[in-house]
Order: sequence, then C-alpha cells, then structure tokens
Amino acid sequence: MHISSGFLSPPVWGTMAAVSGAALAVSLAGAPKRLDERRVPLMGVMGAFVFAAQMVNFPILAGTSGHLGGGFLLGILLGTPLGIIVMGSILVVQSLLFQDGGVEALGANIFAMGVMPCLLGGAVRWLWTRQKPGLLVQAVTFAGGIVSVLAGATAVAVLLWWSGSLPAQVTLPGAIGVMDFIHLWIGVVEGLVTVAVARFVLAVRRDAVLDAAPQTGVKREAA
Amino acid sequence: MTTCNRATILAGAGVAVIVAGIVSYFASANPDGLEKFQQDFGADRPVHKGIEAPPMAFKEYHLKWLGEGFWANAAGGVIGALAVLGILLGIGWLMRRRRAAAGTQSQAPRC
Repeated sequence: MHISSGFLSPPVWGTMAAVSGAALAVSLAGAPKRLDERRVPLMGVMGAFVFAAQMVNFPILAGTSGHLGGGFLLGILLGTPLGIIVMGSILVVQSLLFQDGGVEALGANIFAMGVMPCLLGGAVRWLWTRQKPGLLVQAVTFAGGIVSVLAGATAVAVLLWWSGSLPAQVTLPGAIGVMDFIHLWIGVVEGLVTVAVARFVLAVRRDAVLDAAPQTGVKREAA
Repeated sequence: MTTCNRATILAGAGVAVIVAGIVSYFASANPDGLEKFQQDFGADRPVHKGIEAPPMAFKEYHLKWLGEGFWANAAGGVIGALAVLGILLGIGWLMRRRRAAAGTQSQAPRC
C-alpha cells in the first residue's frame, strides 16, 4: 500500500510529513521511559520480521495481491510509540534503499501504515497483557486487524483524491469504497496473522512484551 | 522458552532472513491493492513532481548485480531485513543510553 512518487501534491505530502514527523518526535520523546533492556531486541527482530513479511505478497481476488501491514501487530507487542518508531524505520529503508514508496510520500505512508495502525494496536494492547488471551481477545484482535488495514486504505484514498491524482469524475466516497473493498480481503489476512504472531511472541517472550514484568522469579530454561 | 536477549535476536533474525530471503521469492507478482485501485481508475501515472530516491543497488528488492533471479531477490531481502534490524537495535541502544544517563537501571538476566 506504499504510495509511489508523483501521486501526492505538495500541500498534501507536506501536511502528512508534518503530521508523521510530529508523531515520530512524540514517540521518540515518550518511548525511553518504557524502554526495558528486553524490549530493544524484541523491537529489532519484530521490525526485521515485518519488513520481511511485507515482501511476501499473497494473491487476493482476481489479479490482485496484498501484503501484511504489520503496524497493528507492532502496536500490540511494543506499544504505540515504539511501534511507530519501528514502522517509520521500515518505511524509510523501503523508500530510500529499495525505492518502494516515494520519498516525498514518506509522511503519508508512515501515517497510513504506521501511525494509525500502531494507535489501534496500542489501544488493544492491554487485552493481551493480561493473564491469558482468550477467544474473545483473539476475535477482537482479528477484527481490529481488519479495521487497521481499512483505516490505512481510507487514508490513502483520501490523500490521492485530495491530491487530484484520481480522475475528476471519481467522488471521494466512491474512491474510498473501491479502495476499502479491495483492502477488506487484505485486512482479513492481517487479522489472522496478527493473532497468530501475537500469540507466538507472547508465548516465547512474554517478559519482553509486558511493560513491567518481574525480574526475579522468571523461570528460565538453560540458555 | 528463554528470556535470553541474544537468543531472541538470533532466532528472530533467522526467521526474518528466511522469510525475506526465501519465502518472498514465491510472492505473488500481481499488482498490490493500491496499484490495482490506481489501475482500475486509470490513475497509475504520476501527475505531480516527486522527489527522486537516490540511485541504489536494488531494483524491486533485487540486488542488481545478481540479475533478477532467486539470488538477487534473496540478497535484497536479507540485506533489507538486516538493515532494519541494525537500525532499530541502534536506535534502541541510543534511547537506552539516554535512559541510563537519567539514572534508571534495569536488571534483566544476562546470557
């Protein structure tokens, strides 16, 4: 869902650069307070994993493909601020190193695939940090994964429309409708993958996911 | 199960390298959701003046020197995943150093 170079008008990408820049600044300023020694490796490997997963396009509908966003998952496992930092880093690497996503569109792409899904993920994070996430928590997370993709897709449709990059006869609701219909199916996969990966990471490194896990009394197998 | 940070980095990097280096080779080449959307509206040509990314050694995640096959894709994926890992560990290290300077200590188990 990376917006390429040349599709956003200067006022639009300028606005989004300011919005995402502010979100990154707030995240960087706010994150260290909650940065445990065990959270840094988790942040690194989850970033590498989301980058890798984004390379794996899976087919949906006729002749279309989609890939994981990952911001919602990062918001759940790392919290919103660290999630935004991780998604920002991934999108910068994709744009500058691999020309995936326009340089001037970075702010817009960080907003659609980072800021918004990470805010949503952070909002359901508390459900996962309680003792055992049951079926209801997983169902809510699955639905949240769909919502997070649709939120990003809606933002992209609005920004392209606002930039005058769609034909004049296309209405804003029409653009959002088509964009969201395509991304509904990508969102289903996002929801399923988010639940599966969140369960796995919580099972193997619960201490690194939680904010203030007790240091003593943590059972360790011989490393 | 372990609380060991080094094991987490090695295992996580291993999974990322496999997914980015091998699994991604079998990814669908169909246009993604946004590209399909733009094609459907006949709006897949740039209409604004953008900012050119600096010339790099990659094209579509393939390392150009290796052509277009499996190994070019594997090299691009592995380099990208490890670059993200390195950048984030660096950012995390800097943020933790700032926190250590502020006087808070953590006592995570060493391994």
